[in-house]
Amino acid sequence: MSALSKPRAAVIQFPGVNCEYESARALRAAGAEADVLRWNVDSTLLTEYDLFLLPGGFSYQDRIRAGAVAAKERILDAVAEAIELGKPVLGICNGAQVLVEAGFVPGLAGGLELAIAPNRMPDREGYFSDWRFLKSNPESPSWAAALNGSVLPVPFAHGEGRFTSRNEGLFEQLDAAGQIVMRYAKADGSAADGWPVNPNGSVMDVAGICNRAGNVLAMMPHPERCAWLGQVPEMLEGDWGARRQAAMGSWDDLQGPGPGHALFTAMVAAASRRKES
Amino acid sequence: MEAVIEVSRLTEAELAEVLSKYSLTLKLDEARKVEELLGRAPTLTELTLFDTMWSEHCSYKSSRRFLGENLPTDGPDVILGPVEDAGIVRLGTADGRSWGLVLSHESHNHPSQVLPFEGAATGIGGIVRDVYCMGAEVVGVLDPLRFGDPNGAAARRSREIMAGVVDGIWHYGNALGVPNLGGDLVFHPGYDDNCLVNVVALGLVPEDEIVRSRVPKEAADEQYDFILIGKPTDESGFGGAAFASIILDDEEENRGAVQVPDPFLKRVLSQANKAVLDLARVEGVPIGFKDLGAGGIACVSSELAEAGGFGMKVDLARVSVSSDELASRVIACSETQERYGLAVPRRFSERVLRIYNEEFDLPHVYPGACARVVGEVTNDRRYVLTRGDEVLSDSDIEVVTSGIRYDRESAPEVMELPAPVRESNRDLGRDLLMLLADPNICDRSYLYQHYDSEVQGHTCLRPGEGDAGVLSPFMDNPLGLAITCDGNPWYGERDPWRGAALAVCESVRNLACQGGWPLALTDCLNYGNPEKAGPFGAFVEGVRAIGAACRGIGRMTEEETGAEPNDPIPVISGNVSFYNESSRGAAIPPSPIVALAGRVADISRVPGQQFKGAGNPVFMIGERLDEMGGGVYNRLVYASKGGKLPEPDFGKVRAEALVMIQAVQAGMVKAAHDIAEGGLAVCVTEMILGRRPESGRGLKLELPASNLALDIQLFTETGGFVTEIATDRVDDFKALCARHDVEPYRLGEVTEERSLAIAAAGAAVLNLAGDELERAWRRTLPDLFPAGEGGTS
Repeated sequence: MSALSKPRAAVIQFPGVNCEYESARALRAAGAEADVLRWNVDSTLLTEYDLFLLPGGFSYQDRIRAGAVAAKERILDAVAEAIELGKPVLGICNGAQVLVEAGFVPGLAGGLELAIAPNRMPDREGYFSDWRFLKSNPESPSWAAALNGSVLPVPFAHGEGRFTSRNEGLFEQLDAAGQIVMRYAKADGSAADGWPVNPNGSVMDVAGICNRAGNVLAMMPHPERCAWLGQVPEMLEGDWGARRQAAMGSWDDLQGPGPGHALFTAMVAAASRRKES
Repeated sequence: MEAVIEVSRLTEAELAEVLSKYSLTLKLDEARKVEELLGRAPTLTELTLFDTMWSEHCSYKSSRRFLGENLPTDGPDVILGPVEDAGIVRLGTADGRSWGLVLSHESHNHPSQVLPFEGAATGIGGIVRDVYCMGAEVVGVLDPLRFGDPNGAAARRSREIMAGVVDGIWHYGNALGVPNLGGDLVFHPGYDDNCLVNVVALGLVPEDEIVRSRVPKEAADEQYDFILIGKPTDESGFGGAAFASIILDDEEENRGAVQVPDPFLKRVLSQANKAVLDLARVEGVPIGFKDLGAGGIACVSSELAEAGGFGMKVDLARVSVSSDELASRVIACSETQERYGLAVPRRFSERVLRIYNEEFDLPHVYPGACARVVGEVTNDRRYVLTRGDEVLSDSDIEVVTSGIRYDRESAPEVMELPAPVRESNRDLGRDLLMLLADPNICDRSYLYQHYDSEVQGHTCLRPGEGDAGVLSPFMDNPLGLAITCDGNPWYGERDPWRGAALAVCESVRNLACQGGWPLALTDCLNYGNPEKAGPFGAFVEGVRAIGAACRGIGRMTEEETGAEPNDPIPVISGNVSFYNESSRGAAIPPSPIVALAGRVADISRVPGQQFKGAGNPVFMIGERLDEMGGGVYNRLVYASKGGKLPEPDFGKVRAEALVMIQAVQAGMVKAAHDIAEGGLAVCVTEMILGRRPESGRGLKLELPASNLALDIQLFTETGGFVTEIATDRVDDFKALCARHDVEPYRLGEVTEERSLAIAAAGAAVLNLAGDELERAWRRTLPDLFPAGEGGTS
């Protein structure tokens, strides 16, 4: 891909987010140009971008609910236009909460259809941070279907990560439509079977959900924290842990792609395809 | 109208009453000295200002002399020693520039005892500001924590304080976007009435972009403004420094002196600061920058000016306040969080204000937050504080910043305690399981899972994965940095000198396990009341020991690997926290806590702590000696702190650390862990279970020949290392050991099966399955947290 044809990514910096720079780095490593844009920039600037990332953090201090205040910002009108145009949008952690609060995900009837609620954990309360495995859904309409059913380890770090809804049957409906893009699973990809493999009590072990068209993905774990092999804990179970151990002693190998890289590559590829079509 | 206190006209009783009425902690003779220095009666605002500036917390009035005499603060890598809020040492060259590593260490002990959540949170807030204001990016924090006995007389309160402190740390630290790289957690009944919450922050700054906390010399040639940035000033934290410098006798009464944290605003401010510092750098505009801490506006403005050799005029009427009702002395001295002071040329002020107030929109992001010009730099070396037309203070600036000194009486106490009478034929497997379940030994994962250790994306060794946290902060260079902290109160209470010396020794070993060359040390010296000869003597011994250890172990680098050091390990920043005792007068155990930062030449060689490859040989460095004193085995098995303490042998520590660092950097090491609390048996168990017990390997161990009893061989706390070596590098490792005159003891080999088998002279000593070890080790800590009271985000 020549430099000229690189898709341009906008990483939106709401007051209080804190993962904007590493998210931009991960997008660059996947072949995009990436800029960090403050929430109050002239929103017409956004029309020049091909893909959008809402990073993790604590936008507006999680006032009211996580993501609720940022979801009312004017800049999201510009994001809504981009979504209409089919441009890829990824919300990670707090960014996922913003996408849900803004009604972009799951985007069935519009408005707030589900919640990302405080974790439910048997022996602890509040914030919880560790690594888990995600089983991706190859049948989903999301660009993340390019992960092709693979199992990837990712770190998560949140106090409110439990996908839930009052609408009965909503998750079954989302499941049928392929909108459940990723689920917490065991290292071999088999079902989580509840706590602690499912770290927050999320309904149906959901870790990431897309909109109906598939261009918007809201996920709680942090792929930007595992975009390089060197970010993977060396004693992690499974294939990626073994790769990390085998890379010991080689800085070049540690600079190679980690499990999260494929997600960003899939997103940037989707933006390129759209741009060229 | 501002009150004037006619100190010299008041009798002792009257003066005492006035001081008490305004909650001032100045001693009577100190108040009289204020009047003498000023040459006139002080205003109430001035008395309040001196109350803060002359507190132990700010003035180091008892400690400064000993710090200066004993601690080495200079060295070939030191860029900035302990003169400002944080020290800076040269890390190395990466991405085409020379990088400074910024290190700062603080305590927030009293606030955390009174209001655990807010106290711990504001502790982080203060320390990261110290690093930000050097122009650095904050890349990590560590939390050394000391709580009362969770099963003792104050069990309930100790557990509540721990849960509150941990909540405060995660609420604040996680929101800030700075990874938590560890710290440690120790329980001791001596902290029942006075917990310790220390915080270490580290930052990175290109050497040519360091910002100093002083008005630049260019202010002699053009007019400089003083800009106050951040949260509106309120009464929170008023009297905080003085509060840190008295004995806690009524936790309820002192709650107002604890500041209110706001990590959200801090994060936005740090982004806006970055934009301002970038602009100043690009345009070549010299500035001075300092965070507001103890003593608030009055302290920051006077110190910024005085450090540059200037004077300052500040008008409190221009300060953004939470309420117009605030008294002048409160506006001048309150410790409201999330504020910075900036000295910039007047021609630049407008653009600075625009970045804060418009681009980052502070007034809308947080009610009342803003940047405002509230004063100006003057050339007359006077400090003038007004509120509109009213003059609150007008004096030579040195009078305000000069400080005060005390000579205290010192009589350190050493506890000589005999070793307990040992039983023979104990079941050492059961003893090991008992140790693993002890609150001071058990798995810390439950704690670490509260912290965000991976934000910023540079973490390569997380808390619990090794004895040090390791970061890989550069994109095209394997240069990394390692950080660890140490301090064992069970040694300190027996012998304050040895306790401090052993803390430095262990910190060096911790870095060495991960191949870290020790670069610079920072200390937080937590002791009791300095007005008493015992606690003050313990402090003096602690400072002497840290100095001796830093000189004795010495600087080590690729070029400097000789048996005798050329230079000491420099102490580049630190903090003294006195008055840590209960209202009943019991001082905490002498608790010097040190943090050591180091340079890792190639982070791809960092081995971590867990055993990796079945069949790999495992070696021990450091002969086992009968040094069970103060150790966890004697405490649990014999309810005794007696016996001989480990002997800090600096030459040996140096030689052994050199072996480990070089072995790691040469790629020989697959896993490494230092031998400390609980001795060899606990060390190897931790290498089996580690942070990822599900991937654990096992160990088949044959104890080296020894005259010591088996329990002593297994549990003595003589320092040392256990390390897994790549099979094909054993000869290299032995040659390296020989070069440094260090004896490697072969212990056995890593097994595929997750279990621990220990034998001596061919006979089994203990055999434990991985599941048994894990069960004993993992459950204790979660059960100490009152689940359900942990708060939510």
